Amino acid sequence: MSDLDRQIEQLKRCEPLSESEVKALCLKAMEILVEESNVQRVDAPVTLCGDIHGQFYDMMELFKVGGDCPKTNYLFLGDFVDRGYYSVETFLLLLALKVRYPDRITLIRGNHESRQITQVYGFYDECLRKYGSVNVWRYCTDIFDYMSLSAVVENKIFCVHGGLSPAIMTLDQIRTIDRKQEVPHDGAMCDLLWSDPEDIVDGWGLSPRGAGFLFGGSVVTSFNHTNNIDYIGRAHQLVMEGYKWMFDSQIVTVWSAPNYCYRCGNVASILELDENLNKEFRVFDAAQQDSRGPPAKKPAPDYFL
Amino acid sequence: METVVDKEILKSAGAELLPEGRRGLRIHGWEIETIRGTILTSLAVEEWEEKLKTSHLPEMVFGENALVLKHLSSNTKIHFNAFDALAGWKQEGLPPVEVPAAEKWKFRSKPSQQVILDYDYTFTTPYRGSEAVEKDREEAVAKEGEASLQWEDCEEQIDLAALSLKEPILFYDEVVLYEDELADNGVSLLTVKVRVMPSSWFLLLRFWLRVDGVLMRLRETRMHYVFGKGETPTVLRESCWREATFQSLSAKGYPVDLAVYSDPSSISQRLPVIKKMTQKLKIPRKV
Repeated sequence: MSDLDRQIEQLKRCEPLSESEVKALCLKAMEILVEESNVQRVDAPVTLCGDIHGQFYDMMELFKVGGDCPKTNYLFLGDFVDRGYYSVETFLLLLALKVRYPDRITLIRGNHESRQITQVYGFYDECLRKYGSVNVWRYCTDIFDYMSLSAVVENKIFCVHGGLSPAIMTLDQIRTIDRKQEVPHDGAMCDLLWSDPEDIVDGWGLSPRGAGFLFGGSVVTSFNHTNNIDYIGRAHQLVMEGYKWMFDSQIVTVWSAPNYCYRCGNVASILELDENLNKEFRVFDAAQQDSRGPPAKKPAPDYFL
Repeated sequence: METVVDKEILKSAGAELLPEGRRGLRIHGWEIETIRGTILTSLAVEEWEEKLKTSHLPEMVFGENALVLKHLSSNTKIHFNAFDALAGWKQEGLPPVEVPAAEKWKFRSKPSQQVILDYDYTFTTPYRGSEAVEKDREEAVAKEGEASLQWEDCEEQIDLAALSLKEPILFYDEVVLYEDELADNGVSLLTVKVRVMPSSWFLLLRFWLRVDGVLMRLRETRMHYVFGKGETPTVLRESCWREATFQSLSAKGYPVDLAVYSDPSSISQRLPVIKKMTQKLKIPRKV
């Protein structure tokens, strides 16, 4: 058994790798990811997966439902880390699978694959806690910069973490982005990872936060038409039912973190596309172990004042 | 968060747990219960949006979650739920808060048809709890104003010294009413927690908002009820609203890195008080 296969087995047991193993793995992954396009071509059959957010045991549930990699070809739409308790193991397992089976798993970048966001929402702290230093966080966040921004399945289904951008009309415009950087605060790359579809606007909407685009049905219609796309697959937003179609089936949100944050009670889903692009959503619940919540002891009744 | 309490302690306090499948207890004529469910389904979201006349709700609304405290002999009910809290949000209707990135966005070229949304995405609510006198289980009547349920301003204060005593806790729980991650720009969280001791019950409803790099807002309401004290059973309620911008904290020399501001309990003292109210509710003998 090769080192890599052994590491995959270890990670499947939710046991993290050593710091030097992470470093070596990241170097290998970098060589593969750097060759990928900003709009990575993916062949069908393929299974689309949405946000995971460090819910390792739930991701194992996902593989149980969807089949093991490399037998099943996977496309993950980002947000591997933060929020859940096992961002390290979750991301490293996906990365190890990517290095081992580069043509059977595609990982594109979510807005949480960023230095700034991971410092606020858990991944940074988790690395520090599990390794006693921030080196592993550095190796991983460096890898984030190499991850592709989007994918297109059989030239018919455009896949991205967040959504569209007013600066992007064509897939070729995405191809020209220099992606090897921290996720910027504005511009096309930021929009692809951050924006959301919104029912109450038809064209473009600006979030009340003053930053962040919302896009309506007509924007999606025109994008899909221009690029000869059947529909858009995206993640980024929690949906109680695991997936949600909008704008007459021109865009679908896929969410793959069941019982999000260990308390929402939502189901998750993955979208299986066969060789003819026929769709089947597979809905699944949280794994027993993870849904029980934090691995640490539950807090005792507290004498709050 | 629920814990197993010694049966003997419960018995000597005159308390009994609610039947299997429910969380809570009966003690000195009160029934205190927490209820938990999942976040709203897409269908329920649509219904709530229609009822509340809004097109936006927090990402996670725990529509079934509640804390209910019933005074059995008078049918008086004090309860906490997401719907009433969101009705309060809708009514207060604060203007939106711009995130730091908004400055840069002002210089972006605008798409041709752009609508600027202007609802209060922080879901700030003045909610301090709901109360009702129930005629029976089906028919809840009389909110504030009607019948005799009326909070009055008062001078009495919640006895924090008594609450600091380490009496056994017979029942403890915390439920989330709603939560939003502000699209990773911070957190908006409304929770209520309760603890019941042999001598009293005490609860804390907390709205906690952190818009990263911009401001923090903490609106807390505490209620305390001492069992068997005085002629007329009286609930004391204290509300304290605090708010500070990151800029003002930095001017005072406090650190502004976000890791420091993940737990509101530990930093609340740093946030200046902007509003304080103390009130009491006399529970009617019979309605």
